[in-house]
Amino acid sequence: MNLLVCIKQVPDTETKIKLNGDSTGIDPAGIKWIVSPYDEFAIEEALRIKEKNAGSTVTVLSAGPDRVVDALRTALAMGADNAVHVELPESADSFMAAKALAGAIKKEAPAELIFFGKEAIDDGAAQVPQLVAGFLGLPGCTVVCGLEYGSGTVTAKREIEGGSFEKVELPLPAVIAAHKGLNEPRYATLPNIMKAKKKEVKAVKLADIGVSQADQKIKLKNLQLPPPKQAGKKIEGDAATQAKTLVDFLRNEAKVI
Amino acid sequence: MTWETLAFLLVAGTAFGISGYKFSLLYKVMRAQTGKAPTFKDWGARIGQLFINVLGQKAVLQSRWVGTAHTMIFWGFIVITIGTLEQFAMTLYSGASFEFIGESAYYALIWSQDFFTLLVLVGVLMAAARRYLNPPKYLGQSSDANFVLIFTGSLMVSIFLMNAFHSLGNPWFKEAFFISSGIGNGIASLGFTEEQSHTGFTVFKWIHMLLVLGFAVFIPGSKHLHIIAAGPNTVLKHLPLERGMKSINFEDETVTQYGAAKITDFSWKDALDLYSCTECGRCESLCPAWNTGKPLSPKSLIVDMKKNLHANKAAIIAGKSEEVTPLIDANVTEDVIWACTSCRACEVACPVFIGHTDKIYDARRNLMMMESKFPAEVQPVFKNMETNGTPWAFSASDRANWAQGSDVKTLADIGSATELDAVLWVGCAGSYDDRNKSVLKSFVNVLHKAQIKFAILGTEEQCTGDAARRIGNEYLFQTLAKMNIETLNRYQVKRIITACPHCFNTLKNEYKDFGGDYEVIHHSTYLAKLIAEGRIKPAKEMKETVTFHDSCYLGRWNGIYDAPRTTLGAVKGVNLVEMKQNKETGLCCGAGGGRMWMEETIGDRINVKRTEQAIETGASVVATSCPFCMTMISDGVKTKDKVDAMRVMDIAEIVDQTT
Repeated sequence: MNLLVCIKQVPDTETKIKLNGDSTGIDPAGIKWIVSPYDEFAIEEALRIKEKNAGSTVTVLSAGPDRVVDALRTALAMGADNAVHVELPESADSFMAAKALAGAIKKEAPAELIFFGKEAIDDGAAQVPQLVAGFLGLPGCTVVCGLEYGSGTVTAKREIEGGSFEKVELPLPAVIAAHKGLNEPRYATLPNIMKAKKKEVKAVKLADIGVSQADQKIKLKNLQLPPPKQAGKKIEGDAATQAKTLVDFLRNEAKVI
Repeated sequence: MTWETLAFLLVAGTAFGISGYKFSLLYKVMRAQTGKAPTFKDWGARIGQLFINVLGQKAVLQSRWVGTAHTMIFWGFIVITIGTLEQFAMTLYSGASFEFIGESAYYALIWSQDFFTLLVLVGVLMAAARRYLNPPKYLGQSSDANFVLIFTGSLMVSIFLMNAFHSLGNPWFKEAFFISSGIGNGIASLGFTEEQSHTGFTVFKWIHMLLVLGFAVFIPGSKHLHIIAAGPNTVLKHLPLERGMKSINFEDETVTQYGAAKITDFSWKDALDLYSCTECGRCESLCPAWNTGKPLSPKSLIVDMKKNLHANKAAIIAGKSEEVTPLIDANVTEDVIWACTSCRACEVACPVFIGHTDKIYDARRNLMMMESKFPAEVQPVFKNMETNGTPWAFSASDRANWAQGSDVKTLADIGSATELDAVLWVGCAGSYDDRNKSVLKSFVNVLHKAQIKFAILGTEEQCTGDAARRIGNEYLFQTLAKMNIETLNRYQVKRIITACPHCFNTLKNEYKDFGGDYEVIHHSTYLAKLIAEGRIKPAKEMKETVTFHDSCYLGRWNGIYDAPRTTLGAVKGVNLVEMKQNKETGLCCGAGGGRMWMEETIGDRINVKRTEQAIETGASVVATSCPFCMTMISDGVKTKDKVDAMRVMDIAEIVDQTT
């Protein structure tokens, strides 16, 4: 069985984000890049299915600039067998990324299960898994925190509003977008880290899969950082005064009541 | 050929045959170990060890009562063995007496036999009194020990009775056997004939010889094996106290196993360590893990590893490595391996110089790097180290924020370290942890007062990798080490000062293997030096009772006990008091060995136990010299609800406040 995982390389969660010169994106200088944490659940789930089903392979794909090869090596070190780098400009949006990934999947790596993280932690768009499913004409399930693999189907447990869960059965092949709780991603063993360094990463060019700059639907014109966090306010006085001050604050400053 | 010669040849041949076979198996097992043993240099000092710690019994004598008993038994046996050899020789050939050494020398030899037999007997009684009347808990129950005591005691009694009969009707021997001839007088009063006396002598001689031969068969399979192994193990011990962990060469592609998955992955020296253990329990008595109810006892670890070795003997000798069972088993569990704080109290206490912690690191390296099995809470710590160069989840770009407004230059500002007195290595705690940030600010104040020219690496500094290395992630450690060394060497750094003993030890003792050779000074030593040179004067009075908590990485790892006490002693008004466990026997705070980053879910909390010892002194201030100790003791003080009565201060803060 072929298992496929699409991952995104994102700035580390502790990064102090700076904007680039013309405010059309973030300044990549000095950023430490990591695999988006939800994508790690996706990798781990694919690896677990592989380990339970002899003869399976896990192929990991990432679309982005050359730097994303490091993310692919991280996935290889966790235990993925093959890696495909889909070359994509830094400015690409979800639509373009999804089209590129779908193109690469069709061209390079047909699979029974295609895993994603439910969203990337940089833009938090949560678009690509569904778009890829759409491009490929496959059923998909998002926010998956439990997965049972059966013959010809998978049953996904997904989180819905109100802290409830629903179970969805999908015929294979299918797209799964992983959520926290699906598993605990492993830490790569050293022999696998060593092996990953030597593995080939296959490159796919946009021209080969019919994707062009015209597929970028969203162009950022004026990206802004959120306003700096205000210091907390301590309400002094006796209970009655405190309550009065608080209500006043909520009504007139925060304007929520 | 007399019947005695024939009988002796038969019995001794059998006994030495069995014993020799058993020893040959032990030797084969030792030689079959695949781990890399250290290289042994500096033989002059090693010969010195033979005199100091083997013949001189220095380490054994650290425990006064039983150490004295042991020394008496040890020396007694050496001397008595000369007599036993003569006895064996004469049983084979009656003319083989040692009389050829001259009459007065022979007289001395015969005299000494009696004297040392008494010494051993007294030693055995002292040891028995300790073991049976008031045994320390860490001694444990061992059938081997009972057997050895009964055996040794019987051996001495048989010698006395043998000599007593020997002295009957033999004036020269009667005089030389100055103790047993007294017993002989008693026997004589029973009215033995000369022939009966001779029979008595023969009977007890044979009892003695059979006991000795029985002992020879017993030794290789028992804890008494230490009488053969402990001597060599002492001579081959780690000579300098200051040392880092051994490095792995990841470039060597022939190596496919990192750390120890099986007992055979250790080195022959590790096997010799196992053979040397006498189960005295001194390690256990000081172990912070054991004393707070964790499953790790250094003694049990060694005993259990020895059991594993013995159980796999056949497979090891047959070279069937695939049949050797794993190191982690029902006795040596993963919890045992992760409980260690790497404080090295066990190693400092061990009278036969067993290296307990190296074995734990090897087990961790296998679990960590080969099997990816480690406490789950450590994973984000590794990820932080990998991406941000610090175990804490903070951005690398914020590393130097603590120094804003402190007039501290970075090496990037000044270009090179060549004009500086020293580079200040801040460490992750000093950079990111609020409590320890203020320690660093105080230390910087002191450096300014002393007009020291220094700079920091700022955002170019990264975690030294100490915790990663102790947890077994050697690969991550080396990655961090190489980056730091590249940075330090680029700025031509020669001298480093640091307020963190973990950074201190790593920079000083462990970066050498990777091309980082620096003079590294811990701030406790540096402060003592500044005070001694008169560059700072702690003249303001501080009327407090202060107790100093030893950091393991300063004390046991690097032998620095006096410098922080000298510094505190120089402060006017300070009344320095010691906790009941201090210096070499000091109790760890619980954070070493990567434990800082693990949950402590089993047993009592080590930091609370240590804090209780501090409270017992009645001190109003606990002085620390390590950021992890600071965190752990501060937490302990909060747990004990003593925040109002007791402050935890770094020595740099005390010096800053009083200068």
